[in-house]
Amino acid sequence: MRNSRRRLLWLPAILVSLALVAAACGGDGEDAGEATPGTVNISGSSTVEPISIRVAELFEDVAPGISVTVDGPGTGDGFKLFCEGETDISDASRQIKDQEKETCLANGIDNIIELKVGVDGIAVMTSEDNDAVECLTFDQLFDLIGPNGEGTTSWAEASPGLPDAPLDIFGPGEESGTFDSFIEIVLEDLAEVAGVEATTRTDYIPSGDDNVILQGIQSSDTSLGWVGFAFAINATGAKLLEVDGGNGCVSPTGETIASNEYPISRDLWIYVNADKAAANDAIVAYLDFYVSEALSTAVGDVGYVPLTEAARAETAERWHSRTTIG
Amino acid sequence: MMSRLSDDRSRAAIAASIEKRRVDTRGLLFRTLLQACLLLTLALLAVLIISVVTNSTDQLGTRLGDFLSGTLRSQSGDDRLGVHQGIYGSLWIAVIVAVLAFPVGIGAAVYLEEYAPRNRFTEFVEVNIRNLAGVPSVVYGLLGLALLVKGNLFGLDRLTGGSSTLSAGITLAILALPIVVITAGEAVRAVPVELREGAYGVGATKWEMIRTQVLPYAAPGILTGTLLSMARAVGEAAPLILVGAISGRLGSDPGLLDLSALTDQFTALPIVITTWTVQSGRDVGFTAAAASAIVVLLVFVLLMNSAAIGLRNRFEKKRG
Repeated sequence: MRNSRRRLLWLPAILVSLALVAAACGGDGEDAGEATPGTVNISGSSTVEPISIRVAELFEDVAPGISVTVDGPGTGDGFKLFCEGETDISDASRQIKDQEKETCLANGIDNIIELKVGVDGIAVMTSEDNDAVECLTFDQLFDLIGPNGEGTTSWAEASPGLPDAPLDIFGPGEESGTFDSFIEIVLEDLAEVAGVEATTRTDYIPSGDDNVILQGIQSSDTSLGWVGFAFAINATGAKLLEVDGGNGCVSPTGETIASNEYPISRDLWIYVNADKAAANDAIVAYLDFYVSEALSTAVGDVGYVPLTEAARAETAERWHSRTTIG
Repeated sequence: MMSRLSDDRSRAAIAASIEKRRVDTRGLLFRTLLQACLLLTLALLAVLIISVVTNSTDQLGTRLGDFLSGTLRSQSGDDRLGVHQGIYGSLWIAVIVAVLAFPVGIGAAVYLEEYAPRNRFTEFVEVNIRNLAGVPSVVYGLLGLALLVKGNLFGLDRLTGGSSTLSAGITLAILALPIVVITAGEAVRAVPVELREGAYGVGATKWEMIRTQVLPYAAPGILTGTLLSMARAVGEAAPLILVGAISGRLGSDPGLLDLSALTDQFTALPIVITTWTVQSGRDVGFTAAAASAIVVLLVFVLLMNSAAIGLRNRFEKKRG
């Protein structure tokens, strides 16, 4: 009897202690928007996320005391958090929209530094033995790889005018950033015009491993595939195709991608809340590291095209002079 | 009233069963089928565990300590990965589920079984609870997102700190609640009526009867059910993604008993497993890391279950 009574006392005791903890922590929650020393909070594009993570992992060896958290809900969601003052840095696979800038301004976030950190380029490849194709337009790529190509087994069947040869397609799987990027850059607009879902056909051979995609491309004389440019440029046994985004055929090279002349490329950005950076040494230390060492190594490490030396210098200069956007 | 014909037939059958040796083929077949079912279940489990454990040796065999104390990474080499933050998240999610869902769920179950009148309304409530137990976990994630992370209704995000271990724990506690109510209800219903009547017979009030007879007798059953529901909650990944678990890189790495970190951004073992499995396409070394994280989660759940079995045995001994 006495025992069971004592046992029953545990229950309210635990409940009360939890309530106390919750109440004590409630105070922390309220100032979530304020800068916390020693921490950097990053959110935004899932395409840029690996770069920021890689930089943070390299940075940890230099400055072990600073904790950097990186999340990747998407560019738009990232800006939403950024403009509410929830994050210090926002990753973005496009430049900030005027509408987003206005939201930021309305919330008193008017000192934003825009830094270009790398270029996302995608190479379209075929076997090196394939002499029939040199250049593909966006329309042809949409015919071949887009949802309307579903079920077609030859190039000509998918897109009239192309050679009548077997079509074997290899590419990254849905979980890959390169898969998303290819859809966003090449397929999205054309899919909207055609009134179909912006995605790829489902009957291609996907792989999360770039080497497996490359093996697939090598295995068939008339294969077609796409991978991140940083990997493709070092690949053997495959031919990088030229792509025509409306302004003539451009061959993918480090230069044409860095200059965005090659159509399947886009700049990758980070946006910094300058007021938060001014109040938090951790952000400054992280970004100093970002623009000095990391830009030359981390971007390439995670499969994107590093900036040219001039562009790197410009990014560093923008950061060091705290140049904000108007 | 038995007809003449079937009477003859049964008499013949009895005679045959006495006179002839007869093999009960259908019975044997049925028994073999059941055994095959059991074997299939065990085989699947064995394949799962063996493949996960053999995959995990690369990590757990060579750098167990580092793996348990390391942090969530996704872009560096597989020699620096760790699950410490994942263990923190899952541990506290389990604690919060226990503290919130168990008392409330058991309380609701005892009320429904012992006090509530049997009418249309309580039937309606019970049907709803059963339906809630079958609702996909993502839906609970959406609820957590709206209520606890965004604070849409009561501004609860100020209490939980938005995307935090606390939000995740409360969300999963809500997910576990209907299961706790159902299992606890079954256990309470299984208490023999003699016990209740005996208690009344010696002059106990209803409250005394429940406290001294029903709860102790039902305790083992309640415990088993509730801990199973907790094990399920700890293994959920989908609601955590919606509540905002960090998958790429989590900066903070609080000690396992650091209560103040409950309102900070978080991750949990199922999320860590998901992240590393995705990364394994890029870097094969992550396969071993994901397998190791699965082993850690399995051990975690196993420890919880053995605690449940231990407690149940204690209660059963008391029940005598």
